[in-house]
Amino acid sequence: MAQTRTATKAHGGGHGMIGASTRVRGRITGDGDLTVDGHVEGDITVRGDLIVGEGASVTSNVDAHSVTVSGTLDGDVTARGAVRIAAGAKVRGTMQGEHVAIEEGAEFAGRLDCEFELPPELMGSTSSRKRS
Amino acid sequence: MATSSHDVTVIGRGARVRGRITGSATLDIQGLVDGEILVDGDLTVGETGMVASDLSGRRVVVRGAVKGNVTGEESVHLEDGAKVVGDVRAPRIAIAPGALVRGFVQTAGAGAARPRTTAAAKATTTATRPAAAHAASTASAAKPAVVPAARGSVPRGATLAGTNHANHTGAAPVAKKGPPPPIVPALKKGAKGALAKKR
Amino acid sequence: MASTIIGAGITIEGEITTDEDVLVQGTVRGKLNAKDGVVVEHGGVVEADVTGGPLTVSGSVTGNISSTDRVDLQPGARVVGNVKATRITIADGAQFKGNVDMDV
Repeated sequence: MAQTRTATKAHGGGHGMIGASTRVRGRITGDGDLTVDGHVEGDITVRGDLIVGEGASVTSNVDAHSVTVSGTLDGDVTARGAVRIAAGAKVRGTMQGEHVAIEEGAEFAGRLDCEFELPPELMGSTSSRKRS
Repeated sequence: MATSSHDVTVIGRGARVRGRITGSATLDIQGLVDGEILVDGDLTVGETGMVASDLSGRRVVVRGAVKGNVTGEESVHLEDGAKVVGDVRAPRIAIAPGALVRGFVQTAGAGAARPRTTAAAKATTTATRPAAAHAASTASAAKPAVVPAARGSVPRGATLAGTNHANHTGAAPVAKKGPPPPIVPALKKGAKGALAKKR
Repeated sequence: MASTIIGAGITIEGEITTDEDVLVQGTVRGKLNAKDGVVVEHGGVVEADVTGGPLTVSGSVTGNISSTDRVDLQPGARVVGNVKATRITIADGAQFKGNVDMDV
């Protein structure tokens, strides 16, 4: 569910909403938060948080502060904050974020790309036979 | 010293294993393992645990660091504090907030083939696996190609003619209908259909 | 409970190094270097050179054993290899083939 939205904050923008019966084909940009309960095909760029609700389907590359997906998302996500993929969500694409959480019960196929360093013990280790 | 026979194997905090670990038992790694791990039991990489190679178990829980692919026959749980550089695969996967991953992740139901919205995006994702991921710009460039495909799938829908109807028709019907759509969108249709049929 | 346990059903092929103790119920092939105690239980198979502190064997060890402390070969133990230790006991019912070096 879409309850983790951090309350309206200093993005300046308001809160956009694409209702369940609404279909958007085209690019969406905004300064505030956006909740999608309908269908979007086209890239989404918002300064605030994006919520893809249960039942929503989004075919977009997404750029937002944080992203929470409970519906279907097909596209690459770039977030400065957290990405959360809830149980029941179906997501494919590359997720980039401060951290990316996937709840058990979510369907996911794609890359996760978090910035971090492995402990030194695993750096430059002999086993670069990672991929078989 | 312990004499009771546990069928649990522990690689202690101060232990370092250089080599393969195989077998059927529950395995708890708190030390460092540099070598492939293949067990049919449950496998835990504890907070202090480090694995510098591929690992595979029935249910896998990671709280430590792994540089290698993580495969769970049943599930993989990456807990807060986990650091994984490698691919993660299992029917069920949970990644807690605070777990960090760089790699490809795939759960069940997410489709074996990984078709994407556009051919460009598709090409990029496949290419991204080993390399860095920068699909965004390419994907949006190819977006217009989507439109003609949607038309091909309209006939079955009474109401809104949207791409979403194609979800239910699948690849074959779309391909037969009307003038052959360009290859790129056709791929997209088939792909979406295949995804939808899974449910 | 030992800090490192190689359970029955587990095979490690390679080198184990630890500054703690090790309990072997499964199979170890390669090398086993512990600073603390090593116990090879009945059913445990070690095909490796072993170094460590006090060492107790009731399973099977094929390889040279070097202990900074004592080595106890218990009934049922089967050891093929040389043993270097400050003290050694070989129980009735233990099988042993190799040299003993007690560094007198």
